[in-house]
Amino acid sequence: MYAQAFFVAVFGLAAIGFGVVVFRTSSMVRSALALLFSQTAVGCMFLAMQTEFLGVLQIMMMATEMSIMAIFMVMFMMDPGGLGGMDMSHQKRFSIGAGVSAAVVAIAVALLSDWGPVADQVPNAEAQTRALGMELLGRSMMIFETAGITILTAMIAATAVAIPVQNLASKDDKEASE
Amino acid sequence: MTMVLILALLTGAILFGIGVYGALSQTNLVMIMMGVELMLAGSMVNLVAFWRFLHPEAYSGQMFVLVVMTVMALEMAVGFGVAIARFRAKGSVEMEEAEALKG
Repeated sequence: MYAQAFFVAVFGLAAIGFGVVVFRTSSMVRSALALLFSQTAVGCMFLAMQTEFLGVLQIMMMATEMSIMAIFMVMFMMDPGGLGGMDMSHQKRFSIGAGVSAAVVAIAVALLSDWGPVADQVPNAEAQTRALGMELLGRSMMIFETAGITILTAMIAATAVAIPVQNLASKDDKEASE
Repeated sequence: MTMVLILALLTGAILFGIGVYGALSQTNLVMIMMGVELMLAGSMVNLVAFWRFLHPEAYSGQMFVLVVMTVMALEMAVGFGVAIARFRAKGSVEMEEAEALKG
């Protein structure tokens, strides 16, 4: 139990620390890497909480996702290296107030609620994965299928949005003038 | 065991707070998406902690985490699609220059 508490606390601190670094550094690559480390620490917290499948999935997904995000950040940012020391933030006081308020309310709920009896044991990784598979293809199948359709729709929508719009009318005018 | 649950919930709450700060304070679309990612990560930590310590017999808790992971991936895909379109049209993804989108 103490080992579990130790690892949850260490990875939790790492996730928070790297989460802060995301918005503190002016280099976009460092920012993306900090988010990658933060999300990996969250995945390690899942592992420490004996949720092996979700922990591994989180680490694998975030490694890919954040690598893509780093590429996009270098592509789109005006100062990706952060050498110019640009400040890319606004309404700081309001944002800090909103962030602190949200965290304080959630912490208050966590500390003041009566969570009732806490489970000591969980099924092993193999039993968990099997039970999750049965859940996905059984009781929660509709949710699972809906998630799949939503992913497909989002892929098509994202591609459609990203494709450059060709102005056919102006093209016809150009051809006619030639 | 309650201590571990509380530790996880505190971590989730602080990650959510950092995410709220990032989503509200950043001017760049990609940085705003990073804030949203942190908020979703905070919610996932809470969900896993609830499943592990309160209802390990109910796998709908893990299912919910999978749905949140799906939402993270969708947010990235659609967000980058919008970023590409915006960058093509205006040459920038700075949201302060997108005041025309205000209702």
